[in-house]
Amino acid sequence: MPTLLETRASLQEAMVFLGALASGIEQAIGESANSISYLAGKHLGMAFSEDAPRTGDIEQALRSVTEILQKNNCLWQFEPFQPHDRPALVETTDAGDQVLLVFRDCMIRQSLFRFGHHQKGSLCNMMYGFFSGALLNIMRRDSTLEILHAGENGCYKKLTVGRTVSADTSLPERG
Amino acid sequence: MIEIEIHDQSCRGCQLCVDICPTKVFEYDAAQAKAVIRHAEDCIACLSCAYLCPSGALTHGNYHVVKNFYRDLDFSQKMEKFL
Repeated sequence: MPTLLETRASLQEAMVFLGALASGIEQAIGESANSISYLAGKHLGMAFSEDAPRTGDIEQALRSVTEILQKNNCLWQFEPFQPHDRPALVETTDAGDQVLLVFRDCMIRQSLFRFGHHQKGSLCNMMYGFFSGALLNIMRRDSTLEILHAGENGCYKKLTVGRTVSADTSLPERG
Repeated sequence: MIEIEIHDQSCRGCQLCVDICPTKVFEYDAAQAKAVIRHAEDCIACLSCAYLCPSGALTHGNYHVVKNFYRDLDFSQKMEKFL
């Protein structure tokens, strides 16, 4: 049985490879690389959340996403954040329900730093895709994850969950 | 809660921290010509301000340090005996 050290070393090697790959794709095809990473993340999010309970509550859905990430040993720790000048954690806007999220441990950030690749690139779109896929399964709603700030020790993002139920007919019906 | 401090004598009032902070923790005090902490409770410990400050005037405490990758597994194991 592999030790934790060996598992982490394998993860590191895979992520460093992925970071180099994403950087190369960006150079070769430009902004189209974002769509590839987004779709890869979305498929991952949908696959991981296949059996997650359905809910219309955004806070409950975020707790489910955290559980899904932990269950699959993904190093993507995040938490909802409410600044002093924000009246509520979830803000309702014309675009949908918005929540600010702080991302701490992130294997993508570490992969990028390992080779000095810049943040907010195509690989960061994988996380956007992951949330989009997972929330589509859990809430049946489309969402966007905008990077407000990418820092050395943490990132600050805005999650917007649309109000209309997704018309994606490929989603399996569940109770 | 995350602790954040500005070393008064080091701050040159360049306002880089005011500009970079995504949660508006700092404000510029024109009278003192220095940055001041207004909303320490909003600090998310991204550490961008500390990395950016040319004078190294900013220090953080009681925050979560992200899990960094190992540089090299064999090297790390060899170094362990010194730690």
